Amino acid sequence: MNCLELRRAVLADPRRVDTQAMQHAEQCAGCMEFLGQALQSEAKLASALRVAVPEGLRARLLDRTAASRRPVRWLALAASLLVAAAIAFFIGSPKPDPLALAGINFVVFEEAQAIADAKPADPAVFARVAREMGLSLPEQLGEVNYICFYPFAAGAAHHALVKTPLGKVTLLLIPERPLAARAIAAAYGLEAAIVPAAVGAIVIIGESGRSIGRVETLLKSI
Amino acid sequence: MRVIRGSKQTAFENAVGDCLDDLYRYAYWLCRDRWQAEDLAQETILRAWRSWPGLREHRAVKGWLFTILYREFARSASRRRLNTVSDEDLLMEPEHHVDPGLALDLNRALRGLGEDSRNALLLQVLGGFSCAEIAQVLGTSEGAVMTRLTRARQALRRALEPEERGREAKES
Repeated sequence: MNCLELRRAVLADPRRVDTQAMQHAEQCAGCMEFLGQALQSEAKLASALRVAVPEGLRARLLDRTAASRRPVRWLALAASLLVAAAIAFFIGSPKPDPLALAGINFVVFEEAQAIADAKPADPAVFARVAREMGLSLPEQLGEVNYICFYPFAAGAAHHALVKTPLGKVTLLLIPERPLAARAIAAAYGLEAAIVPAAVGAIVIIGESGRSIGRVETLLKSI
Repeated sequence: MRVIRGSKQTAFENAVGDCLDDLYRYAYWLCRDRWQAEDLAQETILRAWRSWPGLREHRAVKGWLFTILYREFARSASRRRLNTVSDEDLLMEPEHHVDPGLALDLNRALRGLGEDSRNALLLQVLGGFSCAEIAQVLGTSEGAVMTRLTRARQALRRALEPEERGREAKES
């Protein structure tokens, strides 16, 4: 590491200076002084930003969550789950996978809001993540719209919509979620499959097993 | 109002409780108004509570909360429901700052930064997030975040430290 690289690193994040930078600073008086001043400025900045928090804020924020009720949504969800469970029981289907089910819940309850909230996302980021997970994005897949990186059941997922010839399919790429075997779920008229990738897992949500299977095959066509 | 808390509520409170002060401060510096900041934090916590059953990686809760707050702020600002205080009309309330003089200087300096740079800086200093984490919250690249932070710190140094201004003037 040289002086310029150290100063760039310090200005970008003075509290996370790595070992290489520290080793350089120990041998370079100018950089050591620069680092010391940057840490002092950072402490001053942090102190100035730390405005007094209103008295009773914690109680006010948390009491409203305890008091909030969303009966319609939860009743609807509970009723749907009950129906799905009953159907599964009577026809002997395997238990729905919770993560695949979470994918369906995401599409039903959160996706529209996520799309409304999202700033335009860089498709190159999605392509890079897919590549790193060992996935292919061939043209036959359809038009892919990257929405955003979103908190999801397993931590966080890259959320995209795919317009396929068989209808809209939602993709959630979860690079940090290792998965041993494929699993499925169905609810609210949607189906979902969670499938292992070379790195991480993919949740595919669509209106039919056929559209999901097509997307899965194309994603793994490397 | 007396509220009854179940185990889910307790788990939620334990997870988010430590983040509330910084969350409020982030909201405050985004909209620079105490009342709007509390409303924004309240809306964030309610949204987080509704989505809580779907969140399994509870260790990532701080980043999750800050992301929700940032999106809520952006949405509200774009709909003009939340009127951010204009720079000209901004009235600081010194009693709410540890060092009122510094807060005024800082406020002036922050106003001089672009919104993107200011936001990245707030996320790092108040949220303690890395450049990669900030990139995820803001939906941009890590490199872009590093550039914004570098520019922000250089601008703050010039604005807050007169000797830095003098040194740069001599160097130029």
